[in-house]
Amino acid sequence: MQKIPLEHEILLALAKRSISFLREDLEIKVESENIDIMSPTKVKLKKNTAMLGTGGSIQVLITMGYDDELLDKVVEAFLEGEEIDEQEREEIQESVSCEVVNTIVGNALKNPLDGTTLGITPPIVISEAKSLFKQKSSQIATATIITEYGEMLLTAVGPKEKFSNTLDFKEL
Amino acid sequence: MLNILVVDDSLIIRKNIKKYVTNLGHSLCGEAKNGAQAIESCRELKPDLITMDITMPDMDGITAVQKIREFDKDVNIIMVTSHGQEEMVVSSLKSGAQGYLLKPINEEKLAQAIGNIYSQYVYDEDDELLDDDLLDD
Repeated sequence: MQKIPLEHEILLALAKRSISFLREDLEIKVESENIDIMSPTKVKLKKNTAMLGTGGSIQVLITMGYDDELLDKVVEAFLEGEEIDEQEREEIQESVSCEVVNTIVGNALKNPLDGTTLGITPPIVISEAKSLFKQKSSQIATATIITEYGEMLLTAVGPKEKFSNTLDFKEL
Repeated sequence: MLNILVVDDSLIIRKNIKKYVTNLGHSLCGEAKNGAQAIESCRELKPDLITMDITMPDMDGITAVQKIREFDKDVNIIMVTSHGQEEMVVSSLKSGAQGYLLKPINEEKLAQAIGNIYSQYVYDEDDELLDDDLLDD
C-alpha cells in the first residue's frame, strides 16, 4: 500500500486537470502523461505566474506559471481568433493567467479526506519572477507539465501542520 | 432577444461572454466587475438576464444575487463558476439563481444554459418574449 502526502495528492489532482484542460479545451499538445511531484526547498517561479489561495478545511497557496510562448498560445486560444490592441495585451494576458488557475483549481479541488468543497480566493498575478523558500513550518510541492510550447509550473504551498502532521497521510 | 448584464471580475471572461451574447442574437445591456456594481447595474439597466460569476473581490456573486432578489424577483440569473461540486450548485440556486454554468465557458454552454431557462417561455412572431400566463388567459 503506497502512502502519499496530502500536498502531493492536491498537486496531482491539479496537474491532471491542467493536462486535460490544455489538451481538450485549449488544444495544446502535452508531451507526457507522467506527473512527477517534487518537494523542493526552493522554487523559482516563472515570470508569468498567477496565484490563489484555498479556504475551508485545507488552506494552501497555489501558483501556476507559464513559459512565454505557452502563455501566448493559451491567450490565443482564449481569444478564439479575435484580434486585440497591443495596449490591452498585458491586461488580457494577466486576466487569462488568473482565469486558468481559477478554472483548474475550481474544477479539480475538493478536500481529498472528506470530499468537501474548498473555497478559493480571487487570483492575483505575480508580475516578476520570484522564488519561494521552504521554512520549517511550511511544505512546498511542485509539478511541471511539458507542452509543445514550453512548461507550466504548478506549486502548492501550505503550513506543514496542515499537510503532513495534522492531516497525516492518506492511504491509496 | 434578451437584454443581458455580464458580471465577472475577469476581463477575458467578460470579453468572451459579450461575444457569445451577441453571436446568439441577444443584446448586451451592461457589464460589472463585482457584486456591488452588479446590484447598481441591475437597478439601473433592468436586464432580462444576468450572468453572475461567484468568486469576485469585494462582494461575491451569491451575496449579490441575494441582494438583487430583495428588489427584483423577475430577472433571470445564471451563476458562472469553476466549482462543479454539488453543494456550490445548491448554494447558487438557493440564493435565487435559475441556472448554473461551469467554467470553462463556451458559446454552446451559454446557449444551453439560456435555453434551459427560457424554454418555459413563448415568443411572438417579432421574437418578443410573451408571458406564459398570458397565453392561458
